[in-house]
Amino acid sequence: MEELYFDHAATTPCDPRVQAVMMAALEQENGNPHSATHDSGRRAAALVEAARQQVADLLAADSREIIFTSGATEANNLAIKGAARHLASQGSPRKRIITVATEHKCVLESVRDLAAEGFEPVILPVQPDGQLAPDVLARALEIPTALVSLMAANNETGVLQDFTTLAPLVQKAGALLHADLAQAAGKIPVDVSAMGLALASVSSHKLYGPKGAGALYVRRRPRVRLEPLFSGGGQERGLRSGTLPGFLLAGFGEACRIAREEMAKDAAHLATLRSLFMQRLREHLPGVGINAENAPHLPGLFSVRLPAGLRALDVLEAATGIAASLGSACSSAELAPSYVLEAMGLTREEAGRSLRLSPGRFTSPAEAERAADVLAQAALRVRGQRMPEETACV
Amino acid sequence: MPQMTFVEQDGTERTVDAPLGLSVLEIAHKHGIDLEGACEGSLACATCHVIVDPSWAPKLNTPTDDEEDMLDLAFGLEKTSRLGCQIVMTEDLNGLVVRLPRTA
Repeated sequence: MEELYFDHAATTPCDPRVQAVMMAALEQENGNPHSATHDSGRRAAALVEAARQQVADLLAADSREIIFTSGATEANNLAIKGAARHLASQGSPRKRIITVATEHKCVLESVRDLAAEGFEPVILPVQPDGQLAPDVLARALEIPTALVSLMAANNETGVLQDFTTLAPLVQKAGALLHADLAQAAGKIPVDVSAMGLALASVSSHKLYGPKGAGALYVRRRPRVRLEPLFSGGGQERGLRSGTLPGFLLAGFGEACRIAREEMAKDAAHLATLRSLFMQRLREHLPGVGINAENAPHLPGLFSVRLPAGLRALDVLEAATGIAASLGSACSSAELAPSYVLEAMGLTREEAGRSLRLSPGRFTSPAEAERAADVLAQAALRVRGQRMPEETACV
Repeated sequence: MPQMTFVEQDGTERTVDAPLGLSVLEIAHKHGIDLEGACEGSLACATCHVIVDPSWAPKLNTPTDDEEDMLDLAFGLEKTSRLGCQIVMTEDLNGLVVRLPRTA
């Protein structure tokens, strides 16, 4: 049986239109985009610049504000460490770096790592709905702060942060605002200026592009400056040395173009899939719910909480043919209950009953219903197996 | 005639005549100050990078995006870094003090 892929939050399949652009680029335009002395290099450069424009268009940014990276992890590291180090090099007294407990590991670890360089990491709690409360942020900003890093959409629950309320607080405090847009870009409308962002990270493989490509938006006005992470040839305005992978970026650009043009269609499709899936699952499995159900969220990413007594790990193992994960892909590898859900106030047991589901652009309504059936049957099987044991114990 | 002061890497202060309408880069060259200016003021490099004395910085026009783009690439950037070719002498700037970057 074909796998029911419900893990698009971990990575998306490469859109066939993206694949076609990449194959053409590999075959025809494989020069070094930094070689200005011959046609092959110039053609590769033109390809990269077209991709830069497509990424910029998706974010409502200027193409000169886009720095290509290997992915969102690198972009997040460059944004957080680069901005903090640059401010320190200019003698800035601002040492506080603020983020929240539900961020991706690469943000949390980048912020924590800065403690060794004399910065003060502050990890704020979230409300039970996964959102950061404005007054909690405002209080943290009373101490002069260099940078605040907030993800637009959470990678385990799909919950959106309210930038309209939070960004002005950061701006008023004179700090820089960075957003991890890895899950949000291409899924919901993003406008870096309207969101009040100084820096923003994007990943190609979360929006049906290839793995190994990403971008960092670096605002030009007012100018945001960063210390680069890499020493080298000074590519990407000196911020990210290293030869750019032309074919990957061409694919990334095409993926951004498609995402921008088809965003409304994709979002409506995903919302339909989610409601079909949940309706079916609720029929078979009374007591099943969605974590932070009433918070604003991405259309295609939700965290299902199984009824009491069922461990998500057992159900997922029994649900042959479904690809989903417990929390994020990285915490699934550890098989520990999700720190994100625990930060939202779920008990360890409740977090252990939760699994992340994320259908995608190519998931059909029939597949959504089939996935719900398979998951419900697996849950009932796990419960059935458990019941006699428990009876035996009595 | 207005005057301005260059502070060299070793701390030596050189106060020179600063004709109105000339850029800080042109004034430096006129007096043999060691400020490179490889692109001769066409905003294509950052080799005329100077650090404006903080007390003078607010009196200058704010840098354009093109100047900021070049400053992105400058060595030893500081808060009041500017390109010498973009600061043009006026009466108001009589007494201007700029420092040459340490690591240039």
